[in-house]
Amino acid sequence: MRNAILILLLGAAALSLWARRAEDPAHETIVLTGSSTMAPLMAAIGKRFEESHPGVRVDVHTGGSSRGIADVREAVATIGMVSRALEPSESDLFAVPIAHDGVCLIVHRDNPVRALEREQIRAIYTGRIERWSAVGGRDAPITVVHKSAAHSTLRVFLHHFGLRNEQVQPDVVVGDNEQAIKTVAGNPDAIGYVSIGTASHDAAHGVPIRLLPLAGIEPTVENVRTGRYPLRRPLLLVTRGRPEGAAKALVELARSSRCTDLVRRHGFVPLAP
Amino acid sequence: MGERWLVAFASVAAALVALAALWLVGTLLVHGLPELSWTLLTAAPLDAGRAGGIGPIIVATLLIVGVAMASAVPLALGTAVLISELTPPGSRLADAVRRCVDALAAVPSIVFGLFGNALLCKALGLGFSILSGGLTLACMVLPILTRATLLGLRSVPLADRLGAAALGLSRTSTLLHVVLPAARRALVVGLVLGIGRALSETAALIFTSGYVDRMPRSVFDSGRALSVHILDLSLNVPGGTERAYAASVVLLGLLLAINACASLLAHRWLGRDTVGLGAIRP
Repeated sequence: MRNAILILLLGAAALSLWARRAEDPAHETIVLTGSSTMAPLMAAIGKRFEESHPGVRVDVHTGGSSRGIADVREAVATIGMVSRALEPSESDLFAVPIAHDGVCLIVHRDNPVRALEREQIRAIYTGRIERWSAVGGRDAPITVVHKSAAHSTLRVFLHHFGLRNEQVQPDVVVGDNEQAIKTVAGNPDAIGYVSIGTASHDAAHGVPIRLLPLAGIEPTVENVRTGRYPLRRPLLLVTRGRPEGAAKALVELARSSRCTDLVRRHGFVPLAP
Repeated sequence: MGERWLVAFASVAAALVALAALWLVGTLLVHGLPELSWTLLTAAPLDAGRAGGIGPIIVATLLIVGVAMASAVPLALGTAVLISELTPPGSRLADAVRRCVDALAAVPSIVFGLFGNALLCKALGLGFSILSGGLTLACMVLPILTRATLLGLRSVPLADRLGAAALGLSRTSTLLHVVLPAARRALVVGLVLGIGRALSETAALIFTSGYVDRMPRSVFDSGRALSVHILDLSLNVPGGTERAYAASVVLLGLLLAINACASLLAHRWLGRDTVGLGAIRP
């Protein structure tokens, strides 16, 4: 017992010694919080930033877009990540888009259906239409592919079509974009929705899927960039007032063509062509 | 006739439970094992976790759980000793403390996360740090540890305490040399449950210990826990699913290893099955 107490005390002492905060004035830390959709991308951009800016650390945290806005207002974070357009009540913040997130509906390449109306898509996803023949396709049951809760594409999709998650009647629930694409590519009667970046890349590389237009507008990376395609949202970096110093440099790097590869790898649409 | 049905039902139930466990572990191993390598365990994550390893994340996880247990175990032990040993049965004080512990046990983990974020990160200025995360987890595992310790202390027969008192032992000596060693199995169970809860916690840590996957330099740095990493890979990183499985296998392995160590240490420290006079130092 005595040994145990001794070990515990020694451990605590060692921990507290090691825990003494390394006060290093040369180190500047930029703290980002907000959208969990953007966090992995910004963490990757942050690493690239740290490579070219020794002495600056980029700490990225998540918690959702609203948290990012609250943290920037309270000055807990330097930069907030917001994966939606700012609301009028949030106009006190300075926002800079770094990329766009577009979502499109996909079907199998052999599916004769070329386009679907907004109401048809709503009916398919709520289970009111159950066969392709009702929307001009083959006489076959529709396999509705849905995402598991909290996926960013799911939120964009539901928001655009004015649906609540509990209204959706899915046949298959998948995790990420790749899984959704695999499911649709392997089932001629399936419909799903995925990130445009991933879908157009896969379709161009021979995966048997077709991207459905929305309101007559083709879901291309170009149409997402210009804003013609409606099912999209901006990925914003927000600050209190214009960013300065290292934060400014970080925002500029994130927007620039030097990060286009990272933006694409995370399935988003970069600002620059 | 009735007994045969009972046996059949019990066997089927047990088989289903075993099947569920095997299925879960099997799926993890099938998807996760091919990704497992020495590099994965030691290297830093690259490309949002899709390449590189999870070395810093394992270190951060161990630190968070270490901070949590180091602060929760003494508190839980003290609380349980107060309720069970130092207050008379039916005491109002003991009752009030027990109610508080129960209330703490009923709080959802996300609430602990927001509480930790408001108090530790902001009001106390600890920021997103391993210390904030560990202390938040300490609040969460406190009821589990206290409950288990209390059950253990209660299971020690009153006769043992009376016998110790008759021999002229002080309360402290009785506690240290008679009651605690006799209750050690329950203490180990509590420890294992607490560590399990702490290791698997996600919601409370996103808001407190944060998301940074760099190797932590001290407990004042932010560190990403394994569970947070798994959540991020499976929800927010396209193509991160296989790595999420690999990280889950590591988490499972870590859990088993820590539990084995905990029970080994606890048995070694408190491992006297019979209490002889030689163990008692007045």
